[in-house]
Amino acid sequence: MLILTRKLGESIKIGDDIKITFLEIKGKQIRIGIEAPSHITVHREEIYRIIMEQNVQAARLTAMTGKELPVVLDELKILLSGSGEKKG
Amino acid sequence: MKIHTTRFGELDIEESRIITMRGGILGFEHLKRFFLYAAGEKNPFWWFQSAEDSSVAFVVIDPFLVKADYTPEICDEDERLLELEKAEDVVVMGIVTIRHDPFGISVNLRAPLVINAAKKLAKQIILDNEEYPVQYAVSAGRTRTEQAATVK
Repeated sequence: MLILTRKLGESIKIGDDIKITFLEIKGKQIRIGIEAPSHITVHREEIYRIIMEQNVQAARLTAMTGKELPVVLDELKILLSGSGEKKG
Repeated sequence: MKIHTTRFGELDIEESRIITMRGGILGFEHLKRFFLYAAGEKNPFWWFQSAEDSSVAFVVIDPFLVKADYTPEICDEDERLLELEKAEDVVVMGIVTIRHDPFGISVNLRAPLVINAAKKLAKQIILDNEEYPVQYAVSAGRTRTEQAATVK
Protein backbone atom coordinates (compact mmCIF):
# COMPACT_ATOMS: atom_id res chain seq x y z
CA MET A 1 0.00 0.00 0.00
CA LEU A 2 1.28 3.43 -0.93
CA ILE A 3 1.17 5.73 2.09
CA LEU A 4 1.37 9.50 1.70
CA THR A 5 1.10 12.41 4.10
CA ARG A 6 -0.98 15.37 2.96
CA LYS A 7 -2.03 18.67 4.52
CA LEU A 8 -5.56 20.01 4.60
CA GLY A 9 -6.53 21.45 1.25
CA GLU A 10 -3.98 19.33 -0.55
CA SER A 11 -4.91 16.62 -3.03
CA ILE A 12 -3.76 13.43 -4.59
CA LYS A 13 -4.33 12.38 -8.17
CA ILE A 14 -5.04 8.84 -9.26
CA GLY A 15 -4.39 8.49 -12.95
CA ASP A 16 -5.19 11.50 -15.07
CA ASP A 17 -8.76 12.10 -14.06
CA ILE A 18 -9.35 11.22 -10.41
CA LYS A 19 -8.59 13.81 -7.76
CA ILE A 20 -9.08 13.40 -4.03
CA THR A 21 -8.87 16.49 -1.84
CA PHE A 22 -8.59 16.42 1.96
CA LEU A 23 -11.02 19.06 3.17
CA GLU A 24 -11.46 18.85 6.92
CA ILE A 25 -10.45 16.84 9.98
CA LYS A 26 -12.77 16.70 12.97
CA GLY A 27 -11.63 14.35 15.71
CA LYS A 28 -11.48 10.94 14.08
CA GLN A 29 -13.44 11.98 11.01
CA ILE A 30 -12.00 13.16 7.73
CA ARG A 31 -13.98 14.88 5.01
CA ILE A 32 -12.67 14.28 1.54
CA GLY A 33 -13.78 15.52 -1.83
CA ILE A 34 -13.62 13.23 -4.83
CA GLU A 35 -13.57 14.38 -8.42
CA ALA A 36 -13.88 11.56 -10.90
CA PRO A 37 -15.38 10.98 -14.34
CA SER A 38 -18.96 9.75 -14.42
CA HIS A 39 -17.94 6.21 -15.39
CA ILE A 40 -16.11 5.78 -12.08
CA THR A 41 -18.50 4.75 -9.33
CA VAL A 42 -17.70 5.94 -5.83
CA HIS A 43 -19.32 4.40 -2.77
CA ARG A 44 -18.38 3.92 0.84
CA GLU A 45 -16.56 0.61 1.05
CA GLU A 46 -18.95 -0.95 3.57
CA ILE A 47 -21.99 -0.68 1.25
CA TYR A 48 -20.47 -3.35 -1.00
CA ARG A 49 -20.10 -5.69 1.95
CA ILE A 50 -23.64 -4.97 3.19
CA ILE A 51 -25.18 -5.62 -0.25
CA MET A 52 -23.10 -8.75 -0.75
CA GLU A 53 -24.23 -10.11 2.61
CA GLN A 54 -27.85 -9.29 1.79
CA ASN A 55 -27.62 -11.11 -1.57
CA VAL A 56 -26.10 -14.17 0.06
CA GLN A 57 -28.79 -14.13 2.73
CA ALA A 58 -31.54 -13.70 0.12
CA ALA A 59 -30.29 -16.72 -1.86
CA ARG A 60 -29.78 -18.83 1.27
CA LEU A 61 -33.15 -18.06 2.88
CA THR A 62 -34.95 -18.63 -0.43
CA ALA A 63 -33.29 -22.05 -0.73
CA MET A 64 -34.00 -22.89 2.91
CA THR A 65 -37.69 -21.98 2.78
CA GLY A 66 -38.10 -24.84 0.30
CA LYS A 67 -41.58 -26.25 -0.02
CA GLU A 68 -43.10 -23.62 2.23
CA LEU A 69 -42.11 -20.88 -0.16
CA PRO A 70 -45.32 -20.88 -2.25
CA VAL A 71 -47.26 -20.41 1.00
CA VAL A 72 -45.03 -17.53 2.06
CA LEU A 73 -45.37 -15.94 -1.38
CA ASP A 74 -49.15 -16.29 -1.20
CA GLU A 75 -49.14 -14.51 2.15
CA LEU A 76 -47.00 -11.80 0.66
CA LYS A 77 -49.40 -11.46 -2.26
CA ILE A 78 -52.30 -11.05 0.16
CA LEU A 79 -50.29 -8.47 2.08
CA LEU A 80 -49.54 -6.47 -1.05
CA SER A 81 -53.03 -6.72 -2.51
CA GLY A 82 -54.50 -5.76 0.87
CA SER A 83 -52.60 -2.49 0.75
CA GLY A 84 -53.89 -1.86 -2.76
CA GLU A 85 -57.47 -2.13 -1.56
CA LYS A 86 -56.84 0.31 1.25
CA LYS A 87 -55.41 2.88 -1.12
CA GLY A 88 -58.35 2.57 -3.50
CA MET B 1 -32.03 -25.11 -24.33
CA LYS B 2 -32.44 -27.45 -21.38
CA ILE B 3 -31.43 -25.95 -18.04
CA HIS B 4 -31.36 -27.94 -14.85
CA THR B 5 -32.60 -26.13 -11.74
CA THR B 6 -32.72 -27.40 -8.17
CA ARG B 7 -36.14 -25.90 -7.56
CA PHE B 8 -38.01 -26.46 -10.82
CA GLY B 9 -36.19 -29.48 -12.26
CA GLU B 10 -35.31 -29.36 -15.93
CA LEU B 11 -36.63 -26.35 -17.81
CA ASP B 12 -36.64 -25.67 -21.51
CA ILE B 13 -35.59 -22.06 -21.84
CA GLU B 14 -35.16 -20.29 -25.14
CA GLU B 15 -31.73 -18.76 -25.59
CA SER B 16 -33.41 -15.40 -26.29
CA ARG B 17 -34.66 -15.31 -22.69
CA ILE B 18 -31.19 -15.53 -21.18
CA ILE B 19 -30.13 -12.34 -19.44
CA THR B 20 -26.42 -11.58 -19.33
CA MET B 21 -25.04 -9.82 -16.28
CA ARG B 22 -22.86 -6.78 -16.93
CA GLY B 23 -21.15 -6.71 -13.59
CA GLY B 24 -22.46 -9.46 -11.41
CA ILE B 25 -24.69 -9.73 -8.41
CA LEU B 26 -22.38 -8.93 -5.49
CA GLY B 27 -21.34 -12.20 -3.88
CA PHE B 28 -22.31 -14.09 -7.06
CA GLU B 29 -20.06 -12.33 -9.56
CA HIS B 30 -19.03 -15.63 -11.14
CA LEU B 31 -22.62 -16.16 -12.39
CA LYS B 32 -23.26 -14.28 -15.63
CA ARG B 33 -26.35 -15.90 -17.14
CA PHE B 34 -29.81 -15.76 -15.59
CA PHE B 35 -33.41 -15.93 -16.71
CA LEU B 36 -36.70 -14.71 -15.30
CA TYR B 37 -39.15 -17.44 -14.43
CA ALA B 38 -42.75 -16.80 -13.37
CA ALA B 39 -43.45 -17.72 -9.75
CA GLY B 40 -47.00 -18.88 -10.40
CA GLU B 41 -50.10 -17.34 -11.81
CA LYS B 42 -50.88 -13.69 -11.19
CA ASN B 43 -48.06 -13.38 -8.72
CA PRO B 44 -46.16 -10.13 -8.43
CA PHE B 45 -42.98 -12.18 -8.02
CA TRP B 46 -40.50 -13.65 -10.43
CA TRP B 47 -37.59 -15.98 -10.00
CA PHE B 48 -34.23 -14.75 -11.16
CA GLN B 49 -32.72 -18.14 -11.76
CA SER B 50 -29.09 -18.78 -12.60
CA ALA B 51 -28.58 -20.71 -15.85
CA GLU B 52 -25.15 -21.77 -14.62
CA ASP B 53 -25.68 -22.82 -11.01
CA SER B 54 -28.87 -24.83 -10.62
CA SER B 55 -29.14 -24.00 -6.91
CA VAL B 56 -28.95 -20.21 -7.18
CA ALA B 57 -32.25 -18.39 -7.59
CA PHE B 58 -33.49 -15.11 -6.21
CA VAL B 59 -37.08 -14.05 -5.69
CA VAL B 60 -37.52 -10.65 -7.30
CA ILE B 61 -40.43 -8.24 -7.30
CA ASP B 62 -41.45 -5.03 -9.00
CA PRO B 63 -40.23 -2.59 -6.32
CA PHE B 64 -42.89 -0.02 -7.22
CA LEU B 65 -45.52 -2.39 -5.84
CA VAL B 66 -43.79 -2.20 -2.48
CA LYS B 67 -42.91 1.48 -2.55
CA ALA B 68 -45.02 3.47 -4.99
CA ASP B 69 -42.80 6.57 -4.91
CA TYR B 70 -39.57 4.65 -5.51
CA THR B 71 -37.35 6.60 -7.91
CA PRO B 72 -34.11 4.76 -8.63
CA GLU B 73 -31.71 6.93 -10.60
CA ILE B 74 -29.58 5.06 -13.07
CA CYS B 75 -26.25 6.80 -13.60
CA ASP B 76 -24.89 7.52 -17.09
CA GLU B 77 -22.24 4.85 -16.82
CA ASP B 78 -24.76 2.14 -15.92
CA GLU B 79 -26.96 3.30 -18.81
CA ARG B 80 -24.00 2.92 -21.14
CA LEU B 81 -23.04 -0.43 -19.67
CA LEU B 82 -26.57 -1.75 -20.09
CA GLU B 83 -26.87 -0.10 -23.55
CA LEU B 84 -30.11 1.54 -22.46
CA GLU B 85 -31.56 3.83 -25.08
CA LYS B 86 -35.30 3.82 -24.52
CA ALA B 87 -37.08 4.26 -21.21
CA GLU B 88 -39.51 1.46 -22.04
CA ASP B 89 -36.65 -1.05 -22.17
CA VAL B 90 -35.81 -0.50 -18.50
CA VAL B 91 -37.07 -3.10 -16.06
CA VAL B 92 -36.24 -2.62 -12.39
CA MET B 93 -36.52 -5.53 -9.97
CA GLY B 94 -35.91 -5.67 -6.23
CA ILE B 95 -34.24 -8.74 -4.73
CA VAL B 96 -36.45 -10.18 -2.00
CA THR B 97 -35.19 -11.73 1.23
CA ILE B 98 -37.77 -14.34 2.20
CA ARG B 99 -38.64 -15.11 5.79
CA HIS B 100 -41.34 -17.38 7.18
CA ASP B 101 -43.25 -14.44 8.63
CA PRO B 102 -44.43 -12.29 5.72
CA PHE B 103 -43.91 -9.24 7.92
CA GLY B 104 -40.20 -10.11 8.01
CA ILE B 105 -39.87 -10.21 4.23
CA SER B 106 -37.77 -7.40 2.82
CA VAL B 107 -36.76 -5.97 -0.54
CA ASN B 108 -33.38 -4.48 -1.33
CA LEU B 109 -34.20 -0.97 -2.55
CA ARG B 110 -30.61 0.27 -2.35
CA ALA B 111 -29.23 -2.17 -4.90
CA PRO B 112 -31.93 -3.06 -7.45
CA LEU B 113 -31.48 -5.21 -10.51
CA VAL B 114 -31.75 -3.12 -13.62
CA ILE B 115 -32.52 -5.06 -16.78
CA ASN B 116 -32.44 -3.94 -20.38
CA ALA B 117 -35.42 -5.99 -21.52
CA ALA B 118 -34.70 -5.47 -25.22
CA LYS B 119 -31.04 -6.47 -25.13
CA LYS B 120 -31.28 -8.82 -22.15
CA LEU B 121 -28.51 -7.18 -20.18
CA ALA B 122 -28.62 -6.66 -16.42
CA LYS B 123 -26.68 -5.23 -13.51
CA GLN B 124 -27.23 -4.89 -9.80
CA ILE B 125 -26.72 -1.17 -9.42
CA ILE B 126 -25.96 0.65 -6.18
CA LEU B 127 -28.00 3.81 -5.78
CA ASP B 128 -26.44 6.96 -4.41
CA ASN B 129 -29.60 7.68 -2.44
CA GLU B 130 -28.82 6.45 1.07
CA GLU B 131 -32.46 6.76 2.08
CA TYR B 132 -33.24 3.53 0.27
CA PRO B 133 -32.54 0.65 2.64
CA VAL B 134 -30.99 -2.68 1.81
CA GLN B 135 -33.76 -4.27 3.86
CA TYR B 136 -37.03 -2.47 3.16
CA ALA B 137 -39.91 -4.33 4.81
CA VAL B 138 -42.56 -5.30 2.28
CA SER B 139 -45.07 -4.73 5.06
CA ALA B 140 -43.90 -1.14 5.63
CA GLY B 141 -46.92 1.03 6.31
CA ARG B 142 -49.25 -1.96 6.32
CA THR B 143 -51.08 -3.37 9.25
CA ARG B 144 -51.37 -7.03 10.04
CA THR B 145 -54.74 -7.98 8.61
CA GLU B 146 -56.66 -10.96 9.90
CA GLN B 147 -56.22 -12.75 6.61
CA ALA B 148 -52.47 -12.34 6.39
CA ALA B 149 -51.88 -13.08 10.05
CA THR B 150 -53.78 -16.34 10.19
CA VAL B 151 -51.98 -18.04 7.31
CA LYS B 152 -49.01 -19.72 8.98
